Amino acid sequence: MGRLRIQQLSRGGKIRIGLLILVLILPLFPFISDYALHIAILIFMYMILALGLNIVPGFNGLLDLGYVGFYGIGAYTSGLLTIHFGLSYWLIIPIAFLNGALWGVLLGAPTLRLTGDYFAIVTFGFSELVVLFLTNEIWLTRGPLGLPGIAPPSIDLSWLGGPKWEFAGEVPYYYLAILMVLVTVFVMYRIQDSRLGRAWFAIRDDEIAAVSCGINLLHYKVIAFAISAAFGAVAGSFFARWVTFLSPDMFKFWESFLVLCMIVLGGMGNIWGVMVGAVVLVSLSEILREILPLLGLPVEVRFLVFGLIMVIMMRFRPAGLMPIPAVAAKMKAGQVKRKPAVATAGSKK
Amino acid sequence: MTPILEISGLSKNFGGLKALQNISFRINPDEIIGLIGPNGAGKTTLFNCVAGVEKPSLGKVTFTKDGQATSIGGRKPETVTLLGIARTFQNIRLFDNLTVLDNVKIGRHCRYKSSIFGAVTRSRSQQAEEKAIAETAEEFLAFVGLKGRGGEIASSMPYGDQRRLEIARALATEPRLLMLDEPAAGMNPMESRELMDLIERIRKKGVAILLIEHDMKVVMGVCDRVVVINHGEWLTEGKPKDVQNDPKVIEAYLGSGAANAA
Repeated sequence: MGRLRIQQLSRGGKIRIGLLILVLILPLFPFISDYALHIAILIFMYMILALGLNIVPGFNGLLDLGYVGFYGIGAYTSGLLTIHFGLSYWLIIPIAFLNGALWGVLLGAPTLRLTGDYFAIVTFGFSELVVLFLTNEIWLTRGPLGLPGIAPPSIDLSWLGGPKWEFAGEVPYYYLAILMVLVTVFVMYRIQDSRLGRAWFAIRDDEIAAVSCGINLLHYKVIAFAISAAFGAVAGSFFARWVTFLSPDMFKFWESFLVLCMIVLGGMGNIWGVMVGAVVLVSLSEILREILPLLGLPVEVRFLVFGLIMVIMMRFRPAGLMPIPAVAAKMKAGQVKRKPAVATAGSKK
Repeated sequence: MTPILEISGLSKNFGGLKALQNISFRINPDEIIGLIGPNGAGKTTLFNCVAGVEKPSLGKVTFTKDGQATSIGGRKPETVTLLGIARTFQNIRLFDNLTVLDNVKIGRHCRYKSSIFGAVTRSRSQQAEEKAIAETAEEFLAFVGLKGRGGEIASSMPYGDQRRLEIARALATEPRLLMLDEPAAGMNPMESRELMDLIERIRKKGVAILLIEHDMKVVMGVCDRVVVINHGEWLTEGKPKDVQNDPKVIEAYLGSGAANAA
């Protein structure tokens, strides 16, 4: 790659760089409260989750209803390692990644032979299993009491004779989350343009044709599932050290559903679309949290609103706000609208 | 000469239905064999048994490459592709949401190795591989006459071009035997003439071809030998001209009265 010049960038590239700069200087504005930063961090965390999940339905066309299971595993692993062993967060990130990938392989290898809906049910069962484990294995997780007092991350330079600086307030988390999102996006882009990514897209579009091109379905689906799980676990590890308290009901099925909604809303398989989906749904969730009580409705009603949005999207823009380029081109040409991968996954042989 | 593919005593039952019964024939390297028969005769089932999509109930399928014979009956489809047998499908199966070039690149997949680590670090060897994949894919596109069309979305191409793209994708796996399932279906006379020309050029590259086709002009025009099956059974085999005039074949297609009339 040569030197990067602003003039050479496409319009989209300029917008993206502009957005990134805006996001980077956001905490400097005086009107940005801690609450606003908190929501921004939440958005970044859900971006990582959505980008990770996107691999399975978006890139491979498999419906995954249990993504939150890996998120929960990542969070509790991070929390427990911190409480019992005082492990540095910088060490926990790779451990969480590998641990997530391991669970992805353990669940994926035996079950990815299943097709469509059957696989979706297995993933759903897995996430319920994780919640039950976290609730009942009190010796390890303290069960419904939750896991309080997880230390925040710190940058420890004392071994160099430098200072030890512990994360406080929202700003350090904000930048850490941005860094993690950038790394995730980077990895996703690299994979998307590689032999591995093409194999996934082939599986998504037509499994039988993919096999006849010499692609081993199970092998590539397990890789996809493992990487997806690894990013889920990393997001979980961040979550644990950020909110410093965990309880099993944070990892209920609704979380999986919410992340899946982000993907469908944003545009399944499109990296930018998925991130837009995270921004829209997290912000909407927070807005509804403020508005619904004013209307005398319980906060849980927001899930009804999400459901309604999904129904409207399926009717008018089934490919999402930002569809993958091929679908966008087809829609422009007035061809048949693409069925979302989730809906077709079950009907494939 | 050792045949590249030898099918002996191949049978396939679906429950009580005998889709294929005791089929035997052989394909020599650089030969073009036509496989014909009325609808439901079991032609596509035979393809699937060779390609590994269906497991034969009985019989042997032997593939010989560079003097090395491998029994492929019941092998996985991806293994069969890797060994050197490629196929196209009766109803076109392209990767609809990908570009034309990416479709062919996926055909190149089985001849390369790089995976997740190469993809993320974009290592030197991965870059070299990607370059080779792109270059060879372009060559295959040019070979089937789709040069410069790599950027189009596969599903937005006209029907005849989709057929050719599917052949390019199959060729990209570097097969020694190419199985074409009704490639001329839905083509106009000019397109099928181009197809015949393409099949001849594929043979010149040293690829044997097994061709299912209903368009008799194409079958008669390109095939060295024709195998006829009917109701899952081997009916006859021979030069296109002889098979065409064989009363048994006419009877299979048109009924018993027709053979006498002819």
